[in-house]
Amino acid sequence: MRIIIALTCLFLSLGILAQNSEDFIPRDAVTVFSINNISLLQKISMDDLVQYEFMEEVQTELFDGSTSGKTLKDSGIDFDQKLNVFYGKGIDHEVSGFTFGIKNKEQLFTVFDDFDKVESSIKGLEFYTSLSNHLIIKGNVGVLMRVEPLSEKVTEYADSIWYARGYKIPSDSYDEEDGEVLDNSDVIMEEEEYDAEKIDSLTQNNPVALESAFPVPTEDPNEKNYNELKDSVLLIFQKMYLAEICRDLFIKGNNLKKSDLQFANQLTHKTEGVFYMDNSRNLKKAQGAWYFQTMFPSLYSEVNELYSGNIILGDLVLNSNSIQLKLESNYGDVLGSIYEKLNDAKFDKSVLKYIHQNSPAHFTYNVNLREAYEQAYKIVVPILEKQKDARISSSLLTLELFNEFINKDALFGTYKGSMFGTFNGIKKVKTRKIEYIYDEKTFEFSEKEVEGEEDMPLFAFGLSTDRKDIPDKILSHISRLTSQCKNYGKYWKFDNAILESIPLYMINRNGLFIFTNDEDLAINHADGFGSEAISGKAARHIKNNGFMFAHVDWSKTIERLPREMFTTEQNDLLDAMREKTGIMELVSSKTTKQKTSFDIVYDFSEQYGNSGKYILDLVNSIYVLSK
Amino acid sequence: MKLKFIFLFFGLLCSLSSCIEIFDDLTIHNDGTGTFKYNINLSSSKLKINSILALDSLNGVKVPSIEVVKSEIARIKSKFELKTGISNVSIESNFTDFIFKMKCDFTNVSSLQSAIKEIVTEENLLKDIDDLSHNWVSWEGQKLTRNIPDISFKKTKELTANEIELLTQGKYTSITRFDRPIEKFDNQTGKLSASKMAIMLQTNTYSLLQNAKLLENTIYLSPLKN
Repeated sequence: MRIIIALTCLFLSLGILAQNSEDFIPRDAVTVFSINNISLLQKISMDDLVQYEFMEEVQTELFDGSTSGKTLKDSGIDFDQKLNVFYGKGIDHEVSGFTFGIKNKEQLFTVFDDFDKVESSIKGLEFYTSLSNHLIIKGNVGVLMRVEPLSEKVTEYADSIWYARGYKIPSDSYDEEDGEVLDNSDVIMEEEEYDAEKIDSLTQNNPVALESAFPVPTEDPNEKNYNELKDSVLLIFQKMYLAEICRDLFIKGNNLKKSDLQFANQLTHKTEGVFYMDNSRNLKKAQGAWYFQTMFPSLYSEVNELYSGNIILGDLVLNSNSIQLKLESNYGDVLGSIYEKLNDAKFDKSVLKYIHQNSPAHFTYNVNLREAYEQAYKIVVPILEKQKDARISSSLLTLELFNEFINKDALFGTYKGSMFGTFNGIKKVKTRKIEYIYDEKTFEFSEKEVEGEEDMPLFAFGLSTDRKDIPDKILSHISRLTSQCKNYGKYWKFDNAILESIPLYMINRNGLFIFTNDEDLAINHADGFGSEAISGKAARHIKNNGFMFAHVDWSKTIERLPREMFTTEQNDLLDAMREKTGIMELVSSKTTKQKTSFDIVYDFSEQYGNSGKYILDLVNSIYVLSK
Repeated sequence: MKLKFIFLFFGLLCSLSSCIEIFDDLTIHNDGTGTFKYNINLSSSKLKINSILALDSLNGVKVPSIEVVKSEIARIKSKFELKTGISNVSIESNFTDFIFKMKCDFTNVSSLQSAIKEIVTEENLLKDIDDLSHNWVSWEGQKLTRNIPDISFKKTKELTANEIELLTQGKYTSITRFDRPIEKFDNQTGKLSASKMAIMLQTNTYSLLQNAKLLENTIYLSPLKN
């Protein structure tokens, strides 16, 4: 297992491209990260990579504790091929693993040395197993796979057999006590003691419970206790699902690339890595979907139709001085029509006034909730009207009455859907504290309330509104109920609202309703930062980059974090980050009925060399600090 | 069992909070009876504590809810009340400013000492305490001796610069009061009240962790007048 984790981590940070490794990704996979090693190795040379300190540990792990001068290059893995990490979840089982190219099988088994060969029922396949992990080799491609039946199913079958054998109350019928301490060996001992006490009390009152929880060995050694029975059921299901997947993959020749053209197309991209996630299948296989499917089959089918084609595709691009993640959210026309209306909102320029030009991090989100609601209503009501179920019919009536009676102008005027947020660093804020005063004559003490100071991250979060009167109405009402809430003209102040210690300010001006704990913003800049606000090119950049925009200047953000808020280890890590920081931005495209694109770009200074070296340096810094 | 987790959590909280203020106040009457008060004031860090209380866990230690802390305080109070020679136990908890005040009367210092030791043992609060049979406090009519047991806290050299800075800002005050004037005392850092009936020792929490013996003292009283 440690090898799998080590390999996965390594490959995620590195990458491999196998000529046909992508042809062996099971159809069940709903999430795939495919790494193009050919492209990646042009940016990170294998010779440079193996020199890194963190690679020593990876290699030690790979070669079973002894590197013996061996490096990753001696692992037998074909670094001219792609590595595809996949995960899938069916109604009854999960499948995960990765596919990769093989250059030298003999060398490969110095890495996979705990795998035993088993006879393969499929011609042309070599089959190796180590506990629950299976290595399947076909030609020059390896598939490392793990198939796990869902625990509910295993328990259900194990219980059923257990009851049929005449036993009562399976072993896990009593709840385990929650761990009070998450990482403390002393306390683990306490938990064990506690469990033992609990079991004692359980069994004293009910001797049958002891017998069924831990069956006494019988004369017949073939008689299994509950846990052994459960393991057997698990094993049978593992074999069954593995056989199904292998049959589909290697005999019928089905795979994800064949069954999903969008994925196949994505694999042709010459980027360092591609990402695929099929949300529509995630929905179909979600827990509880079977209930929905059984109880409301027609509605289930309609919802599936609505979500069909809901696939997220992504590319990882390593440029010379930036790392880019391009994401494309695809969906069907019907769902797309709602997103299109939602994201078709005019940028609210008033938010720019409240973003300081030195703000280390901020985001804007512009949506038109009213339009999206109207469109969703048009789509959902006809679907529900087709259903003949009494509960759905009642829900539909509620929805229609709500639509008729509610004042949508007031509702969507108060909250239009657009919002923004800023992080303005950390400042000392005033708090009240108790001090003891001693009488010099007797040393009798008394308490005195004095002013104190504590560090607090400053934020502002604002919503666009056309109905200033409604928030004012609510706040006026609250202020009549409590003296903590007061109107100061340009802003409202609610004392002790945050962490029961510091005030929350609310600014209801310029078409925005803003919550902030920044006293300076409320008192001195209730109408915005004026000439200190973000403007010019930076403002246009926000405005022109779609319905969603985020900007984080890591160097400024980390610089403003107070050291006393973190442990030494965290500060060491932050120091390492301080030396290697850049600017991260999220921008979005115009939403169409078919898709919305997002770009996350992390830019860093030229002095760090190329992006591959930058990532490895960062990984290495973190590794060295965490040793 | 929960008390131990709360104790562990509380220790962690104290090490993370700046300006923690602790004081003990021991009053001993001529007949050996007295009153013991123990206060912990975390009001300087209430913002940080409120932030921590909003978490599930901190540095691997589960953060208890205020309700759990309240019920444990009530449990310990009732346990303390049952101890021989202890009466009028009160524990005030202020969860707004995070101030905790414990007060009890005792018939003699041995009863107080035994009660505390029994609670510590029963609740398994301090596993590294060197010797529970050792006398922490003894009263001989004209002389009071306060010894501090060796409690293995995290050694100073293992503390981070940040933790040291926070602990240095914390304050520990120990006051001992009598019905008659104090004649002399051994601890040179002690400060006598103007009335000479009370003595105060003050140190910061960092120095105290470094050397718990800073609070040790032997106090000699003037002879009892008939």
